[in-house]
Amino acid sequence: MELFLQYLANGLVTGTFYALSALGLTLILGLMRVVNFAHGELYMLGGVMGWWATTRLGLDFFSGLVLVAVVMGAFGWLVDRFLIERIRDQGEEPGILLTIGLSIFLANTALLVVGTAPLKVEAPLSAAPLILGPVVVTKLRIFAVALSAVLIVAAWLVIQKTRLGRAMRATFQDPMAARLVGVRTANVYAATFAMGTVIASLAGMLLGSIYSAQVAIGGLVSIKAFVVVILGGMGSFAGAIAGGLLLGVVEALWGGYVATGWVDIIGFAMVILTLLCRPYGLFSKRAERA
Amino acid sequence: MNIEKRILFGMMALAAVVPLVVQDQYVLHIAIMVFFFAVLASSLNLVVGYVGEFSLGHTAFLGTGAYTAAILSTQFGWPLWATIPAAGVLAALVGVVIGGLTLRLQGPFFVIVTLSFAEVMRLIADNWIGLTNGPMGIAGVPQPAFLKEAGNLAAKQFYYGIAWVLLALTLYLSYRFVNSNAGRAAVAVRENRYVAQSIGIRPLTYTMLALVLGALLSGMAGGFYAHYISFVGPEVYRFAFMASMIIMVLIGGKGTLVGPLIGALLVTFLEEYLREAKELRLSIFGLAVIAIVLFLPRGLMGFVTQRREKSGLAAPTSTTPNPTSSRRTA
Repeated sequence: MELFLQYLANGLVTGTFYALSALGLTLILGLMRVVNFAHGELYMLGGVMGWWATTRLGLDFFSGLVLVAVVMGAFGWLVDRFLIERIRDQGEEPGILLTIGLSIFLANTALLVVGTAPLKVEAPLSAAPLILGPVVVTKLRIFAVALSAVLIVAAWLVIQKTRLGRAMRATFQDPMAARLVGVRTANVYAATFAMGTVIASLAGMLLGSIYSAQVAIGGLVSIKAFVVVILGGMGSFAGAIAGGLLLGVVEALWGGYVATGWVDIIGFAMVILTLLCRPYGLFSKRAERA
Repeated sequence: MNIEKRILFGMMALAAVVPLVVQDQYVLHIAIMVFFFAVLASSLNLVVGYVGEFSLGHTAFLGTGAYTAAILSTQFGWPLWATIPAAGVLAALVGVVIGGLTLRLQGPFFVIVTLSFAEVMRLIADNWIGLTNGPMGIAGVPQPAFLKEAGNLAAKQFYYGIAWVLLALTLYLSYRFVNSNAGRAAVAVRENRYVAQSIGIRPLTYTMLALVLGALLSGMAGGFYAHYISFVGPEVYRFAFMASMIIMVLIGGKGTLVGPLIGALLVTFLEEYLREAKELRLSIFGLAVIAIVLFLPRGLMGFVTQRREKSGLAAPTSTTPNPTSSRRTA
C-alpha cells in the first residue's frame, strides 16, 4: 500500500508531463484539423535548443526558456504561414504528408548537427530527493511539475481571457462565421500553430533537464501525445490534462503491479477502448456533422 | 477509360521482359523492392484512395503477413508457395477484426486508431518472445532448396518472378474491385457518405471489403518480404514503412491504379539515388516530400487527369452508374 502512493505520485508527475506535451497537439488538431506528425520533432527541437542555450551560450535556465519560446514561436509562425497555409481546407491527407515530411527533415537535420548523444539541459535545481511521508520525489521533478502547471494555466488564460483567445475559440466553432465577423483567421491559425509549437518546445526543454534531450525521441513523443489527445477529446483543453494524468497514472500502476515490458501497450489499448465506447474522446462535446 | 488498363498491361509486360535483358543483381534487387512497394502502395490505395479514409495501420497487415510466413516456415517447415497465401489469409483475418472495430470512425480518429493498432502489433511482436523472438526477430527464414545450387543471380531472378506475379495479382484484384459494383459503391461512400447511405449503400460493407482486400494483399507482400530478406523483426511494424507507403500513394496520386506504381518506382529510385548524399539523404527526402505536397497536391496522376479534364476528356474516376455492362470488361 505504501508503494501505491509512490506509484500514484510517479504517475501524476509523468502525467503532468504528458499533459503538457499533448497540449500543443490538441490545440493544433482541434482548431486547425492538422494531424501534426512533426509535434514530437518540435518538442525535440525545444530540448536541443535548451541544451544549446544553457551549456553553449551559458544562459541560466529561465533565460534559456524565454529564448526557446521566442525562437520556436517564430519558427511555428513561419511554418504555418509558408507551409500549412497552402494546404488549408484540403482535408487531412496533405497535412499528414506535409508534417511527416517536416518531421523527417527536422529529425535528420538535427541528427546531422548535434548527433545521437543524449544532451543534458542544465537544470536550475539539484536532483536531491525530497521525502514526503511515504513518497519520495526529487526537488527537480516537483519544480518541473509546478512549471508545467504554470505553463498550462498561462495557455488557458491566453485562450480564455485574451482577444486572441476569443478569436481562436470562434474559429474553432466555425471558421466561416468567424471570418464573416472580421476575425483574421489566417493570423489566428498561425498564432495557434506558433502557440502549439512554443508549448511543445518548452515541454521538450523542461523534460530535457530531468531526463535528457535526444534527437530520436520525436516519434515516441508524437505517439504518446496522440494517445493523450484521443483520450481527452480533440481540441479539449481540460481533456488533454485529464487524458495526460490518466495515462500517466495507469501506466505507473500497470508498470508497478503487472509488468514493465508491456507498459507502452496500455496507452494504445485505452485509445482503442475509448474510441469504441466514446468515439469522440472522453471529454469532447463535439458531435458528428454532415 | 481503358487507357488505365492499357498502361497497366504495358508496364507489366515491360517488367516481364526486364530480367531477360538485365543480368545485374543490384538492378534486379531494386526492381524487386519496387514491386514489393508497389504491392503495398496499391493495397493501401484501396483504403486511402477508394474508401477515402486515411489508414496509418497498414503495417499491421504487412507485419502479420511477414511474421506468419516466418513462423510457419521456420517452425513448421512450410514451403514458400504455402506460406505466402497463408500470410495473406491471416492478415485478411486481422483486417476483418481491425476493420470491424475501426471503420465506424472517420477523419483524424480513424487515422490515429489505425496507427494505434499498428503500434499494438509492434509492441506484441517486441514482447511476446516465445512466439516472435522479441526484438531479436526471426532470422534465417528458409529459401527454397533448389536456390542453393542455382546461385545468387538465379535466386534474384526467381524472386523477381514471384514479385511480378504478386504485383500482377494485386493489380488484377484491384482492377476487378475498382470496376465492380462494390468498388463504385465504395467511391460513392468516399464522395459523400450521407448520400450513399440515403440510396441504400451500407458504408461498412464496402469499406470493409476494400480494407480486407488491402490486408490480404499486403499480408502476402509481407510473406514475400520474409522469404526474400530472410529476416523478420519488429521493424516491419515501424512507422518508417508506413511513411514510405503513404508517400508513394500520395505522390503517385491516390484513387488511381497507376498512381501507386509510379509512386513506388519514384520513391524507391529517389531513396537509392540519394544514397550518394549519405547523411544528407533523409533531410533531402523530407524536403522532397514537402515540395511534392505543396506543388503536386493531387499526385502525379492527379496532375495528369487534371490536364485531361481541362482538355475535355472524361475523368477515369467518373461515377457514371453503369452497373452491369462493365462487370465483364476485366
